[in-house]
Formats: sequence, C-alpha cells, structure tokens
Amino acid sequence: MNTALNPSPTQHRVAPPVTSTAPVSLILIGCGAVSRLFYQPAILELIGRHEVRLAAVVDPLENARATLREKFPSVQSVNDLRQVEAPAGSLAIVASPPRFHAAHCQAALDRGWHVLCEKPMATTASDCATVTRAAEAAGRVLAVGLYKRFFPSSEYLHGLCQGGVLGRLLSFDLQEGGPFVWPAASPSFFVKSETPGGVLLDIGVHVLDLLLWWLGDPASFDYADDAMGGLETNALLKLHYANGAKGKMHLSRDWATKQRYSFEFERGSVEWTVNQANAITVKLKGLAALQGTLVDSLAVPAYTNPQCFIAQIQNVVAAIRGEAEVRVNGHDGERVTRLIEKCYANRRLLSQPWLEPAEAARALQLAQRP
Amino acid sequence: MKVALIGAGGFIGNRIVEQLHMGTNHQVVPIVRKPYRLALPARFDVEWRLGDALDPNSLATALTGCDAAIHAALGDPRQIEAMPAALCAAAAASGVKRLVYLSTASVHGQAPAGGTNESSPLHTAHSMDYNNAKVRAEQGFFHECSKRQITGFALRPGVVYGPRSRWITDLAQDLRLGQAWLFNGGAGICNSIYVDSLGGAAINALTAPAGAAGPYLVGDNETVTWRDFYHAISDGLGLDSSTIRTVDRLPAFKRSTFEKIQRAVASPGIQGLLPLIPGALKRTTKQLIAATQLPPRPNAWSLPPRPAPRITEELALLQQCTWKFPHENAVERIGYQPRVSFKEAIVRSLAWFAFAEGRA
Repeated sequence: MNTALNPSPTQHRVAPPVTSTAPVSLILIGCGAVSRLFYQPAILELIGRHEVRLAAVVDPLENARATLREKFPSVQSVNDLRQVEAPAGSLAIVASPPRFHAAHCQAALDRGWHVLCEKPMATTASDCATVTRAAEAAGRVLAVGLYKRFFPSSEYLHGLCQGGVLGRLLSFDLQEGGPFVWPAASPSFFVKSETPGGVLLDIGVHVLDLLLWWLGDPASFDYADDAMGGLETNALLKLHYANGAKGKMHLSRDWATKQRYSFEFERGSVEWTVNQANAITVKLKGLAALQGTLVDSLAVPAYTNPQCFIAQIQNVVAAIRGEAEVRVNGHDGERVTRLIEKCYANRRLLSQPWLEPAEAARALQLAQRP
Repeated sequence: MKVALIGAGGFIGNRIVEQLHMGTNHQVVPIVRKPYRLALPARFDVEWRLGDALDPNSLATALTGCDAAIHAALGDPRQIEAMPAALCAAAAASGVKRLVYLSTASVHGQAPAGGTNESSPLHTAHSMDYNNAKVRAEQGFFHECSKRQITGFALRPGVVYGPRSRWITDLAQDLRLGQAWLFNGGAGICNSIYVDSLGGAAINALTAPAGAAGPYLVGDNETVTWRDFYHAISDGLGLDSSTIRTVDRLPAFKRSTFEKIQRAVASPGIQGLLPLIPGALKRTTKQLIAATQLPPRPNAWSLPPRPAPRITEELALLQQCTWKFPHENAVERIGYQPRVSFKEAIVRSLAWFAFAEGRA
C-alpha cells in the first residue's frame, strides 16, 4: 500500500470517546464464510442486546451479500465501500480476503470509521505498520480479530506462562489442524498470488499470536514446511526462548493432528484442547490429571468459544466508547505478521522420508525456486 | 503428456500427483470437486482445476487440453456407479483419448476363489454394496470406452496402504486400543499394494500400448499375510504384538432393519421418487427413523466396557482370503513393477505416520 498517505506523527490526534450508549453502527466488509459463520450470529446477538446495529454489508459478489441479507434485510447492500452511507465513528469489520485487508482498513479509516480487522491483519508486516500508524493518526480504534485471546483458557495459560503456580515453563508441544474443510466459496486460499501463505498464514496467525502473548518473542527458531513451489499444508516450527524454554508447533491442513497444546512446567503439566475456550487439564507433579471447566466467582461457567467471539466485538465497542483498551491492537497484528514473515524468509523444506530419494531431491529443487 | 488427475485431494490421487510432478516428465493437472480439496495439490506450482466427477460438463471443462486422465475419485456406491459414464462422456467431449480408472480387486470379492485372475467372470451378488458398485462401474467404464473409442485401463489393487492410508492409521489405533484382531492366526492373504506401486502402474498405463487396454490386477511382490501386515505395523510402532486378539469365529453381518431402509432409500428408483414426496413428510419420517436409532441411556451402574475386537464386514471377509492375486499380466503388458519391498514400504508408511502424529 502507499505509505505516502500516512500522516506524520505530529498529526496524531485522539478522537473523543463515544459516550453515547446508542448502538454502534457496523459496516461488514466482505461477506464470505467468516462473515456468514462467525460475524452473522455474533452481530445478531449484539443487535438483540442493542449494543450494535448493522448499517451495511459490502462485497463485490451479489450472491455473497444475499446470504447475509436474509438475516439483515434492511441493511444497505453494496458492492463497493465507497457506496456505504455510515457516519464517522462507525465500526468497520474488515472480513474480506487477506490481500485486501490493508486497503480496506485504510479506506475505512479515511472515512473516520473505527476498524476491527480479521486475521491476518495484512499480508506483510509493513502494511500492518502502515495501517496502525494511520489509525493512530486518525485517532480511531484499530483491533485485530484474534479472538482466541478472549478464551478464558488462553488467559489461564497466559497466567501460568508468566511463572508462578507451576513454576517455570520448560517446554511445549502445540499440534493444531486437520484436513482443510473451510467452506471457502472460491479457491483463492490456494492461489499464491492472492494468498501468499498456506497453513502458517491461516491458523498459524492465531497460534503464534497466542505464543507471543504468553511467552514473548523467541530467541531463535527453526521453521520448515512442505511447500514445493506452492503453498504449505504442513508447517513445523521449533522455538527457543531466552529463559531456556523450548517448544514445537506443528500445523496441518493435511491430516488430523491431536488438536492439543501441551505444556511442561517445573511443577506440573497442562493440556489444552484447541478451541476449548473454557476448559483445561492440569496435572500437578505426582498427581493424577484434573480436567475441568473454568468458572467465575459464582461458579458460572466461563465463556464458550462463540461467546468469546462476541466478547471480542464487545471489547472493540467498549474501546470506541472509551470504556476499555482494545485487547488485540494493530501492534499485536504487526508483531505476529512479522514473525510469520521471518519464518517464511528462513524456511526449509520439511523432511519427508516417505518420498522416493529421487523425488525428495526434486522436492528440494522445487522448494528452492523463488 | 498432459495428464489430468481426477480426485487429486484423496490419499491415492495425491500420491500420484506427487509421483507425476516429481518423478516424471508428464505435466499433471490435479482436479478436485471443491476448493477445500486443493490443500495437498496446491503445495506444488501446478495448474489445478475444479471439476465434478459426477457432472460431464464440469469435468469436460476441467479436462480441456489434457491428453489422458487418471480417475481416482471416491464416492458412495451410487456415485461410484455413475462416475464412469460422466468420465467417458467428459473425455470424449474434451478430446482425451486415454483413461486410467482406479477400480479394485474387490470386484472379485474380498475372499476370491483360488485361481482368480483378470479373466475370471465378475458378478454383482457380493454382500458388500461397494463391490457390486465397483463391478458395475468397471463394466460401465469399458463399455463407454469402447463406445467412444477411448483407450481404457482399469487397475484392480487390493489393500492399498502407505502415507495417509486408513490401513495404517486405523490399524495403529486398533492396536493401541487393544481392538486389533486376527482370524485363523492371521494366515489370510492380505493382497497388499504400496500406494507408490499403484501410482507406478497408473503412470505406466499412460504410455502402455493401446492394444494392452483392459483390466489389471496389481499388488506387492511378496505374499503378505494379515499376520505379516499387523505385526509389521505393531513392531514398527513399538507395540507388543502378543496383545493382538485372536478371533476363531466371525459374526454373520446380517443387515439391520435400519440398514435395509437406508439401502432402499439409496436405490435409484427411490431417489427418483424423493422429489415428489412433500418435505414435511420426509423430515417427519427421518425423525421417526432417527428416534429408533438412539443409543441406550447410560447406566450409572456400569463400568467402561473392555476393549473388544473391532470386526467389520470388510475386514472379516478380507481376513478369510486364501488367494494371492497374480499381477503377471500387468508386468507383461503394461510393464508394472512394484516400486519397493513390503519391508521398505512399511518403513516409509510409518515414517509418515510418525510425522503426522507429531512424533518426528
């Protein structure tokens, strides 16, 4: 994107918080699978609670918009962002394909809208930085859709990783993914010119964001994947941290992984099943494993996965009203994108000892092509 | 040669894409039905296409410009039977002159009579719908090829194993859960074939003489018993092979009323009538049938069941096999050669499995 459009730091201004309790006006940009499966039910719930109203849906494809309009018949339905009629201070949810994120965020900020951008925030860290600077200059809220940070179990793990109850973290093993079944309407997920990464740039964004939040930046890493001229479907990342902790992350779109994160601490271990927002298994050293649901002080079960998705939007609305900090901001989005860029820049071909030796040699050639 | 691979997202289709792209000079065009099936083929910088193996028009578009096609698409019995006609119509419309259809040795049944080979007559009185569907599909394939002057090869593999195969992953799970079993001491013949060998046969068929067109049984060189197969996996996983259950008597596998209804509903006649039945009536009927299938309510006074052998009809039949399918015809006429030994094939399969499980 054009960085010349960015205002200088001296132009930064902070918009006054929206003190009104009127529902925040939303513009949903992109009407694909993530909007249909996640944003649609979340927005319906928040409309029912008078916290938001949906002003417009934007997508170049009429049939994509039509699916959403069945649930929101009175909203504007337009194929171009410029046609949207919504006042400054509205919230744009950018859920278009990743290659459009930066441009759509910028366009929304130019209209004076706040932004919640789906992950990945952009396809390059420099685009993330540009958007973040633009939001700061415009005094608008910029949040990134990394909603797994809202899982009570993620927060619990964050607490454990900060040291304390179970002692220092020694190692971890994260396995996530399975056969790709995302109901994408188009094959753009697999077109390198449209989506420059595979599984790492998809579910890897969530996993690495959590790792960065829990543990900070790794001191060193070793990354390998199975892209052989195309996009990776398996990714293996080994990480080392300055405090001596080390870990492994295996992501797959190919085969069902264990869908489990395992952590070894000095005084016990913890296991977390992927996407279990409010449950965790803890094993204190020498004792049996204990599995349970996280509850609040009144023993009410903590938020489920869909409730956390709703909570993410509520967090952004609260930030717009000046009542809360955005939990995942543009700097977080940039940080994870930068780590992914470093992984790709240092990638090795994954060892595949099941290939014929001649094929393995050929695979190496294919993987090394620019 | 530009070769379309129909069903490129599956276990066998994926492996043949790999073999064609990394081991030959052919240009492979992976074809899948839905975008989400592109995950594996899209690892390569190849020209993939979307095409529906049941829709001749969609498939014809996907086959445009290809010289040959290998058909590795999967489906339920009804789809299996319908696919060859769609394939041949699409090939004729797009000018594809050579087809390789992945059939199965199960067209002869899982436990064929001694002496069975490619010239043995086929029938559709098998107890398994899959077998009958494959018989009809293969016969339909050759009929259509003949009608449309297409050179057609059908490959009949037995138990295809290798990376991403259920024969590796399911067996590993059964072994770990104490559910693996062998009948008659595992003396039955497995008729195994490593996926690379099957892929090699398909690739050979692309350039075999047109006069060699026809069906071919293909398999590993070794005569592998079920005991050999189970013990190789068990040993490779570091498990105790002595825990594999011994089964002396196999169940009868009679169809339940529910299964009979399911079969009847799946038949073409009933499927043709379904659009005429009101939706509300269909929903109510489905709900009533589903209500009869509810699992029993849990009893708080029962203990977790002990692991029991997981005996499926298919495996029960397979383990009674006493005949090693010959593949001399394939060797002689299309130059088939198993790519690696059974021992090496198991090593490679388990190397993949260790990676898939995050143990590598």
